[in-house]
Amino acid sequence: MARTAAGRGSLMSSPEQPLRKKYWSSGNSLAAFWIPGMILVGIIALALLVITIPVLRNPEYLAGAASDPVVFQAFFVTFLAGFCAVGILAITGTPLAYALSRSDTPWKGVVETLVDIPLVLPHTVAGLMVYLLFMSRGLLGAPLGGIGLTFEDAFPGIVAAMVFVAIPYYVNAVREGFGRVPVQLENVARSLGASRARAFVTVTLPLTTRHIMYGALLAWGRAIGEFAAVIMIAYFPVVISTLIYYRFNTGGIAESQAIAFILILLCLVLFFVFRFLTRRAGVYDDRS
Amino acid sequence: MIAVEEISLTRGDFSFAGISLQVPESSYTVLMGPSGAGKTLLLESIGGFLPVTGGRILVAGRDVTMLPPEKRGIGFMYQDYSLFPHLTVEENIAYGLKMKGIASRERTSTVKTLLSSFSLHTLASRHTGSLSGGEKQRVALVRALATRPTALLLDEPFAALDPEARLSCMDEVKAIQKDHGLTILQVSHDRDEAYRLADQVVVMDNGRILQTGTPAAIFSHPVHPTVAAVAGFENILEGTSGSSEGGRTRLSIGTGTIIADRIVPAGDRILACIRSRDITLAGADIPLSEQVNRIDGQVISMVATDHGCQVRFVGPFPLLIDIPGDRASWEYRPGEQVVAWVAPKDVHLIRIPKNTGDGGNAL
Repeated sequence: MARTAAGRGSLMSSPEQPLRKKYWSSGNSLAAFWIPGMILVGIIALALLVITIPVLRNPEYLAGAASDPVVFQAFFVTFLAGFCAVGILAITGTPLAYALSRSDTPWKGVVETLVDIPLVLPHTVAGLMVYLLFMSRGLLGAPLGGIGLTFEDAFPGIVAAMVFVAIPYYVNAVREGFGRVPVQLENVARSLGASRARAFVTVTLPLTTRHIMYGALLAWGRAIGEFAAVIMIAYFPVVISTLIYYRFNTGGIAESQAIAFILILLCLVLFFVFRFLTRRAGVYDDRS
Repeated sequence: MIAVEEISLTRGDFSFAGISLQVPESSYTVLMGPSGAGKTLLLESIGGFLPVTGGRILVAGRDVTMLPPEKRGIGFMYQDYSLFPHLTVEENIAYGLKMKGIASRERTSTVKTLLSSFSLHTLASRHTGSLSGGEKQRVALVRALATRPTALLLDEPFAALDPEARLSCMDEVKAIQKDHGLTILQVSHDRDEAYRLADQVVVMDNGRILQTGTPAAIFSHPVHPTVAAVAGFENILEGTSGSSEGGRTRLSIGTGTIIADRIVPAGDRILACIRSRDITLAGADIPLSEQVNRIDGQVISMVATDHGCQVRFVGPFPLLIDIPGDRASWEYRPGEQVVAWVAPKDVHLIRIPKNTGDGGNAL
């Protein structure tokens, strides 16, 4: 009792601040984690600043880039190819992710390793592979060329390179989502009369919405950023990273900075729009 | 009726071989056994979620062994109820009807009837995440019943409920089972559930069925050490039978002896099973009227229970002893010398066959 009273007394006589300070200094502080972590965050912030400040200081380059039809076309090609790549991944990668999450075949490890290969390869190697596969004399390029689908220096080539490098990002994210849907839910759905496919469509898929959208966003981000793999199969039509590199070499830093700035701005806007649109997706709780 | 005939299944490290089981028409069967016995796997293979590698499964006389789950007409309910979190209560209940192709209008009216007869109408448009355990259980049950299954498989349906909800849910399920003449196979860990619900109890362990019978028969006459543990015999002591006299047999257990009210051939390996509540404890200086089965020993520790306290006792062999509330005034102290006593009629014996390690025959 006496101790409590004394404690209360000291609390009242001194303001709250020293007590909080004491709390944080007594080993409860996260400073030891924040300080090294902030090095990384600082590098990102500085990187954004070295692009942004010169661009805002010389707005004529920004205006020039924004009104340049070549820049506009490169953005259009890049974003459209990115969406096409995500579409192809959604159609083929979603079933693959589901099969991987539910199967216990001994071959699963082999398939998983193959899916992860584009993640560990240097992008130039990925580019070489895509080129050899899809060039006009390539293993897939030749027969597809026969039905009028050309990849070399063509839009489909960009999409092919983007799909290739984005496979692991999409498949792994979606697969994790499927893994979180308890198989018991599917079992119950089936006991209630749903076939495996209907249980997938009516139960598993809606419960994986968030992971599918996240996987799509990751894959899209990876796809539109691809440079090495894309230029090896299709230097033209020019994608945005090719254009930035080209302008960096020919027109100088200021020109490439302006295009990069627009790209960053567009990506940020798209990310925010995406987050806003998906903030309620996959959340099923009356309490929140 | 559900008839499981000699089914085999392998799942990772676990396997059954040749399991047979019958759940009579319109009866309630409770499947019991220790954790890891294979109860859920057996239920899931009857439900069709796991492929069996041999044998047959018949539901109402129809061979469903090769049918997918959706064609078996068996309702299934898991311990966590597995309600669809993205659907409302109403949509959860309507799900099976929709999958069976029932027209929207008929579906709505069926669901409406079910909702009101199970007093769920106030929850109809709620998502399931915020329901209480009892409400979830009821929604899962109604969802399973909506498609009028031939049989119902329940995997520990009452385990996640608080004690009050448990009793009322059990009574409700039992009433529905009786009214609709449902055939139910339920997994349980709880003897009270078995007493309250079961017409038949089946005990399994390690992918084998050990004993089948009425709850009273199983719990008072286990034939296998695992069944004895499931039946709640806290003390299972291994020993050897000695001389018999006047319908009683003297058993050597540890360094002591116990007399049981049964005749056993001398020299057999036996397990003496004694419920902790059937043992009486007295201070060493208090005379007991009974002269047989007085066991001298020491109190090791005591813990409070619902009904009094439980004493850990060591004499010629260790014993767990329950002392009812009126005697549980903590009159014993750890280290105190005491006398334990058990009536010969309360010593249940299981004979261990000579050539196998774990099987047994009741005596």
